[in-house]
Amino acid sequence: MNRIWYMVEKEIRQLRRNPVLLRIMILAPIMQLILLSYAANYEVKNLNIAVIDGDHTTYSQRLVGKFRHLDNFNLTGYLSSDKQARQTLLAGDADLVLVILPHFERDLEKAGSTAVQLLVNAIDGSKAGIANGYATAIIRDFSSDIVAETRAVSPGGGPQLTIENQYWYNPKLEYKTFMVPGVLFELLLLVGGLVSALNIVREKEIGTMEQLNVTPIRKHEFILGKSIPFLIVGLGLFTVGLLLGRFLFQIRIEGSVALMYVFALLFLILCVGLGLLISTLAENQQQALFVSFFLLVLFILLSGLFASTENMPVWAQWLNWFNPLKYIIEVGRNVMLKGSTFTDVSRPFFVLAGMAVGLLLLASWRYRKTV
Amino acid sequence: MENAVHTHQLTKKFGSFIATDAITFDVAQGEIFGFLGANGAGKTTAMRMLCGLLKPSSGEATVAGFDVYRQSEKIKQNIGYMSQRFSLYEDLTVRENIRFYGGIYGLRRADIPVKTDQILRKLGIETVADSLVASLPLGWKQKLAFSVALIHEPKIVFLDEPTGGVDPITRRQFWDLIYEAAHGGTTVFVTTHYMDEAEYCHRVSIMVDGKMKALDTPSGLKTAYNVDSMDAVFQILARGTSTK
Repeated sequence: MNRIWYMVEKEIRQLRRNPVLLRIMILAPIMQLILLSYAANYEVKNLNIAVIDGDHTTYSQRLVGKFRHLDNFNLTGYLSSDKQARQTLLAGDADLVLVILPHFERDLEKAGSTAVQLLVNAIDGSKAGIANGYATAIIRDFSSDIVAETRAVSPGGGPQLTIENQYWYNPKLEYKTFMVPGVLFELLLLVGGLVSALNIVREKEIGTMEQLNVTPIRKHEFILGKSIPFLIVGLGLFTVGLLLGRFLFQIRIEGSVALMYVFALLFLILCVGLGLLISTLAENQQQALFVSFFLLVLFILLSGLFASTENMPVWAQWLNWFNPLKYIIEVGRNVMLKGSTFTDVSRPFFVLAGMAVGLLLLASWRYRKTV
Repeated sequence: MENAVHTHQLTKKFGSFIATDAITFDVAQGEIFGFLGANGAGKTTAMRMLCGLLKPSSGEATVAGFDVYRQSEKIKQNIGYMSQRFSLYEDLTVRENIRFYGGIYGLRRADIPVKTDQILRKLGIETVADSLVASLPLGWKQKLAFSVALIHEPKIVFLDEPTGGVDPITRRQFWDLIYEAAHGGTTVFVTTHYMDEAEYCHRVSIMVDGKMKALDTPSGLKTAYNVDSMDAVFQILARGTSTK
């Protein structure tokens, strides 16, 4: 039992002797929290729209007028041909082009239906999706206006269809609110997983690992002795992150702070387990770095930190079954922003606990004092 | 009295490469046993098997009476080990290193400061007790590593090329420490490729290409090969040539 304490003491001493690493470990995450939270903003404003009006009627003018009066859109002008539209999109002068075909008004009045075309520059897929969504909503709005007017012949009028959004839990649609809990846990993965893996592999490189392997130290003593310092550092970092969220981003923690810490600790144990496993597989720091980095990027991109997991292809959603970051980010957002209680998040709790135990078992099975 | 180390046909293969080829020998308690050979002759592999770091492919071996296959953790309680790769933490001070290894070897908390003072005094390095190991000259580091390997008073200490890269005077001082340990009853198992060091050993074995080519006292070997130095013995065995 005593040996664990000596390991912890040694690790903390070494950490204190490495002020650069210590500074990076504390400052880099804070920087990331601030930068990512401010920069990763999905709100799309100032979309440049150009129009080919092949009809030049009251109706077509009205449709274009609808775009004119919205903040999100910026009418750049009228174009005369498809060729010109292509050039405008190519040059980046417009994000989307609305094409109104000839006989737009006539078809609408006579046949009761017609089509317009939207050309969207989809280089940036998510921006294009959002732009397309906005534009479609406007066109639908226009068509329901028309429907209403034609029915207005009868007294009382037809139902006016409006699209009204209500944003719950994040009423101002602040992306910072959405990002902070996610980034917070992503950082724990960085410290718990990557730094711990590198730490152990470094001992392999220096040769002190071999020295430890000829001592009577037990596996669990080694594993605990290596883990505890990272759990302490990780929880410290988590606290800094929560405070930043509270005071810099003004995010109130709706749920229980204790529950947040329970999950932070659980997630850190999982990350350290992963770090240990990587360190048993890697021979040197390059290998460990590469493997950790590969997993980190995969976990982060699939996790729903930047893009909603529901819209991912089915295979990606399957992969996400094994992505601890996906579970913890969901939990973090739910507890922090919605005030979920343990009952609400008990399923991810047990999934994460299972993963943590699995990783630790795998790591201690792979860690061999004798090769 | 039971032998400190006993092996019989001990073999280690890495794929088709035979690093250590059926070596058989005994080391008596309190003996200074030299393990000689060129680089890649299989010395380190043999030593790593005896220390419980490497599982043998076949053959038998016991260290301090414990079987290397089944009781490697028991062995680890009874041996000290100093590898050619430097084994102290450079970013800890001398005192912190002693404290750490003392703790890992299960010394009682109260005994650690006592042991620390003993080591510092014996090596005459009290003044640098709180300096980082990284700042010490190599010779001091090696002497400190040796003392740390003996901190739990093991029955056997394994030294893998302990004096690489230091001057002859420092090497001589290092050997004084080895003699002192042996005198206190510790068995010393040492690999080296310095032939002058071979002269200091009670018995010497010479390994060539994984096989043990000779095993005797230094004087016995010199007589058998009719030469006047261990260097000459080694030349004959290792290269199949004579320097005479």
